Amino acid sequence: MSLSPAAVKELQRILGPQGLVTTPEGRLVYECDMHTLYKGMPDAVALPTRTEQVQAVVDLCRRERVPVVPRGSGTGLIGGAMAPRGGVMVSLNRMDRILDIDLANRCATVQPGLINLWLTRAVSDRGYFFAPDPSSQMVSSIGGNVATNAGGPHCLKYGITTNHVLGLEMVTGRGELVRLGGKAMDRPGYDLTGAAVGSEGTFGLVTAITVRLLHAPEAVKTVLASFATIGEASETVSDIIAAGMIPAALEMLDAVIIRAINAGIGAGYPDRAGAVLLIELDGPTAEVEVQGERCAALCRRHRALEVRVAHDEAERALLWKGRKEAAGAVGRLTSSYLLQDAVVPRSKLPQIMREMETIAARHGVLIANVFHAGDGNLHPLICYDDRKPEELARAVRANEELLHACIELGGSVTGEHGVGVDKAENLTLQYSEADLNFMYRLRRVFDPDGIMNPGKLLPSHPACAEGFRPSRPVLPTGAWI
Amino acid sequence: MSVSTRSIEGALAEIVGRERVSAEPRLLVAAAIDGRPPRWVVSPGALEQVAAVLALAHDEKLAVAARGSASALDLGRPPARLDAVLDMRGLTRVTEDNPDDLTVSVEAGITAGALAARLAARHQWLPVDPPGWQSRTIGGLVATNAHGPLRARYGTLRDLLLGVRFVQAHGVSTWGGARVVKSVTGYDVPKLMVGSLGTLGVLTELTLRLHPMPESELTWLAAFPSAAAAQAFVACVLDSTLQPSRVELLSGAALRACAATPARAAVAIAIGSVEAAVRDQGALVEDFARRAGGGAAVAPATFWERYDRAFARGDGEMVLQVASLPSRLADTVDAIERGQEGLGSGAAVMITGCAAVATLRVTLTGAELEGAARFIERLRAFVGDFGGSVVIQSGPIALRAGLDPWGPLDPATLALMRALKDEFDPHRVLNPGRFVGGL
Repeated sequence: MSLSPAAVKELQRILGPQGLVTTPEGRLVYECDMHTLYKGMPDAVALPTRTEQVQAVVDLCRRERVPVVPRGSGTGLIGGAMAPRGGVMVSLNRMDRILDIDLANRCATVQPGLINLWLTRAVSDRGYFFAPDPSSQMVSSIGGNVATNAGGPHCLKYGITTNHVLGLEMVTGRGELVRLGGKAMDRPGYDLTGAAVGSEGTFGLVTAITVRLLHAPEAVKTVLASFATIGEASETVSDIIAAGMIPAALEMLDAVIIRAINAGIGAGYPDRAGAVLLIELDGPTAEVEVQGERCAALCRRHRALEVRVAHDEAERALLWKGRKEAAGAVGRLTSSYLLQDAVVPRSKLPQIMREMETIAARHGVLIANVFHAGDGNLHPLICYDDRKPEELARAVRANEELLHACIELGGSVTGEHGVGVDKAENLTLQYSEADLNFMYRLRRVFDPDGIMNPGKLLPSHPACAEGFRPSRPVLPTGAWI
Repeated sequence: MSVSTRSIEGALAEIVGRERVSAEPRLLVAAAIDGRPPRWVVSPGALEQVAAVLALAHDEKLAVAARGSASALDLGRPPARLDAVLDMRGLTRVTEDNPDDLTVSVEAGITAGALAARLAARHQWLPVDPPGWQSRTIGGLVATNAHGPLRARYGTLRDLLLGVRFVQAHGVSTWGGARVVKSVTGYDVPKLMVGSLGTLGVLTELTLRLHPMPESELTWLAAFPSAAAAQAFVACVLDSTLQPSRVELLSGAALRACAATPARAAVAIAIGSVEAAVRDQGALVEDFARRAGGGAAVAPATFWERYDRAFARGDGEMVLQVASLPSRLADTVDAIERGQEGLGSGAAVMITGCAAVATLRVTLTGAELEGAARFIERLRAFVGDFGGSVVIQSGPIALRAGLDPWGPLDPATLALMRALKDEFDPHRVLNPGRFVGGL
């Protein structure tokens, strides 16, 4: 299914001299996203600046029956923005304008390539912000956030991307430009906006997004507590939620990460701490004061070694510093790791953390944890040395066991990173054949020719839905190596 | 024909039990939708029975409408066909309850009131409160995406439905979403089911996100000399750090209906938090109200009960759901009140609704049919200019037969919706004809 010379010429005509990358060197940077183990080079990369160009590219690809793979900033963690079957990658970075800011109606309309944080920067002086805050928000695009239905630390209170998307303009796999939802609520008919968010480019290419903006809270209170054991920290998390408090963020770091951070930037966490909890409350001043006290008391009840409260923005930044540096600190621990994104019911945190210790011991692997404890969204980093295939094999087994354990507890395969190619086969853990069949058919409605980001989000299966049966992975498990 | 009819009835009885299938004329008439009685009323007693009934219906090309409390049966167009009414009120179990996770899974037929009673004991709630919510079923609330004053803070069921089990048109029980509060595994199927009026599947089990009940809550009633002043107040509230749980607009007539102090327009604003924060925010509310040219005072504790009683469905009413924009709130209220004159003598219009997102509920009483149709069309033209919509929530069949209760949809979007329906229900088993575009 590679591109014909005539098709390349047509693409050049659509996109102009600066709008198409066809050289092997030029395409090389597009062969993977942040999940660098999955590689697939597109035959051409389109760099549109206008919606009409996007539509023309999709039209051409439909005629030529070649895959269309959307890409934002390429910061995804699931192999979603790479082209396993070649075709045309549509990189939307050049469509990065804010089209409309409408504070009277607390919303904005942006192009998909706009960087997440830029939107908040554009409205923060007037007291507003865009709530979804993936750790990549300095570089990830809002279009990419919509594709993966991205989360972030503050999604505990504010919800994930879908809760903040009011409308979409999208070129569907049927080649039509549709406007779904909009500034006014409750558009009659099916909630296609809601269905499209998180569809990872398999329904079409989003060309404009109307998002909700929130007013910044009156006060923010950040509490950092360290514990001797991760069990005590996990029980504290469960108790905070059970006590009826929904902090803005509730993040946990385990002993492995704490030591790595202390060895680097030195966020000042106690060395003997087995876990650190970062609790952030926001809202009316009186509310965060009272709830801050209650959270601190719960920490102490679970024998916290230390409870620190930030009193100003500088202290708050210091408490967050370690959390923000965690990913970098991991580099000091290991050359490579497998990253998981499974979710457990938050009341099951103590249990899953115990099971994780057992799994790590059984397979002799080091597992580091830094995650969104408040919503039960784990991010275990399963470390291995990429020069030792046997170590990788053990990491893979530990990873699988852990995922199974999460599902057994009533959890979910992915909380915020998305499915991509990375987790596609794992969907069978969570969904029955009938459930998946519904999803295949839903996809077919938006993309009857099967050209939109093929091979992503759902387990691979024969071309059409009715005869679905589990089959080989898109990429063999061996692709880890 | 009669042989086949008898054999279908027999098959239904085999699935659910003889006592759960009725073809008694009196009951059929009572179960009519828009004057069209079904051939059978089937009351499943277990989730598996719903699947078996649908499979049968699919084979026999029957039209099936699921119903809960019957409070929203006149939402949408009159049905194109109707063979079986599936009465879901027998499915009331709580299938999974995780108080410490703030999640609960329930069967579709449980009433919101029964669920609320269970949740209140642990200071949690499902914050969905359309007027008359207590007697409505959770499945019905989800299928109609019903909402009330609390959407100002908590959103709608779109934001609260985590997972959903439904039976597809061909009788296959299907699950979408998750039982945890955060999941992006696969497509967001729950979103597709919210507000779909049972046209893609019969909802059988729902997993819901709960919220902690605020430990303290007070409501202020802010009264204004005009809708414009009320809008200015709301704009002030939204552009502040206040975190109100309800920001409900009430027109003068709506205020009278709840026996509140008369005014041209008012906003009932509830603050739920810890006690000190409620007090602090209340002071701001009063200040904002004064600055907008009105005044706010604490409302009696029974205010929301009175509100609920006043706007739970009454006979002979027409109810419209109007989606406007916060920046056009006063314009929209004025347009509605101006249009009142064409409704005939003795007609009255009450406006309530969530001012924070400008979703208004317009209740017409004593309106003439033709006048009401013209009123709706003019209102559609007005709010349509800025992307708003007017849906007839309830009203006489004659009104909804002549005028699309859903209003116009963009053709490309409707084509996509039609493709969706064609894919999942090609034989039009599920609630045929009632949804947008006659789907």
